[in-house]
Amino acid sequence: MRTSRGTSIVGLGMTELGRVYGRSPRRLAADAVRLAAADAGLALGDLDGLLVSHGVSGSPGIELAGTLGLGDLRLLAQVNAFGATAGAMVSYAAMSVLNGTATTVACVFADAPRKPKQSAGAAYNRSAREWHGFAGMTAALGLRSVTSFYALAAQRHMARYGTTSEQLGAIAVSTRAWAAGNPLAEMRDPITLDDHQNSRWVSEPLHLLDCCLVSNGAIAVIVTGDDRARDLARPPVHLWGWGQGHPGHRKERGSDFGLTTGAASAGATAMKMAGIAPSDVDVCELYDCYTYTVLVSLEDYGFCAKGEGGAFAASGALGPGGSLPTNTGGGQLSAYYMWGMTPLSEAVIQARGDGGERQVPARDVILVSGNGGILDHHSTLIVSPHPKGA
Amino acid sequence: MDIGILRRDGRTDPFFDGTAAGRLVIRRCEACDRWFAPDASGCPGCGEEDPGWAEASGEATLVTWTVLPEEPPAYLALVELAEGPWLHARLDGVTRGDLREGLPLHVTFERPDEGETYILFHP
Repeated sequence: MRTSRGTSIVGLGMTELGRVYGRSPRRLAADAVRLAAADAGLALGDLDGLLVSHGVSGSPGIELAGTLGLGDLRLLAQVNAFGATAGAMVSYAAMSVLNGTATTVACVFADAPRKPKQSAGAAYNRSAREWHGFAGMTAALGLRSVTSFYALAAQRHMARYGTTSEQLGAIAVSTRAWAAGNPLAEMRDPITLDDHQNSRWVSEPLHLLDCCLVSNGAIAVIVTGDDRARDLARPPVHLWGWGQGHPGHRKERGSDFGLTTGAASAGATAMKMAGIAPSDVDVCELYDCYTYTVLVSLEDYGFCAKGEGGAFAASGALGPGGSLPTNTGGGQLSAYYMWGMTPLSEAVIQARGDGGERQVPARDVILVSGNGGILDHHSTLIVSPHPKGA
Repeated sequence: MDIGILRRDGRTDPFFDGTAAGRLVIRRCEACDRWFAPDASGCPGCGEEDPGWAEASGEATLVTWTVLPEEPPAYLALVELAEGPWLHARLDGVTRGDLREGLPLHVTFERPDEGETYILFHP
């Protein structure tokens, strides 16, 4: 098998996203893979690799290959690094293409945690009368939502560096401003800093408008070698670099929990591979399960100094017309929550120039992040409309 | 938020035996001279899968916190035990104005009508 010198994302498939009911996560995933193949101008039979990831629904796994009727696959695996999975899957697909394991690999994420007539947060909260085990003790005492754990992280950053709720609010506002231009976004009405400050506390210091949406749906991308990519239906989105960071913050004296994240090492690895510095990045698509994760990721990537993420966000740099357009589709906060596929899908759209009224003018280098667990796992991709080194 | 009813599950028995007796017991690897949180899955130093238990002083400091917007508010936190490990914890006897990094705290034991004795941290 001939090996390829560069790799690209050549297909993007997105099902309906948000309050999509009545389709199982496996069905949604299969639909997304079909859409991605059609987008690339490929037949399903052209795929010889499939990487599958799921959200809190716990499905699908590798049986998805059978659902799709895929045979003679050279690569098939379920991948899980929580919110860092999408970036990880794309990197594993790219490495498989580069070393000749497979030629054309679909990477898909699906989830359907949202139920009719149930609050969005319910999918990520724990509820019981009696609790067992140490995790149960933590929940029994009151730490029952993912938001509370991120609130602990954000509060530590605030206490250490003077980060404010208004600075987090600037991220909510700029992200919503981008969402206004995205027909796929669930929340498109503009918001003000007052709206952010007046939204209810979920777990102080995080307001409702600091928290992402919860969405049903699936998104798939297809990775292949540049030799094949140039003959397909859509402009290739070239993969320049990737990296992961799993800091393993120990819960003990001296831990950096809440202060630094895996973005520091994942970003350095990806940027070194891509041959770029933070100043070369035109657009950021960052994992924004909370406004705070954007702020701390910007610091760890080196777009501003540690502790200055708040001031950087409040400067207007991230919004339309700013110096570092960030989460240009409205992110997870305002558009749709497909874990790491949210930032990745918007990066593909922007790199292709398909952003419509939200299209950024400069898109030569786009940074994509993934964040999983409670800041435990991080992935980074650097993508571009141009071949690396061209 | 009301504190839920706690049940022991085997793995937590030494911890709840401790709280019932008014003692905070956590994990300790004697060989490595290291302390760990009660839920530690082993000692990363020597690989011991079942480090022993030892009584901690009950003294701690506040690392970070979150407040649930209820009446009365629920103060939840990460606290650093004097021995080094961090615990997810609930604070009692505090107001928002008291909360700061490094706030000295000490453990108390609360015996509910039903379920195991749990711990709170007070300034």
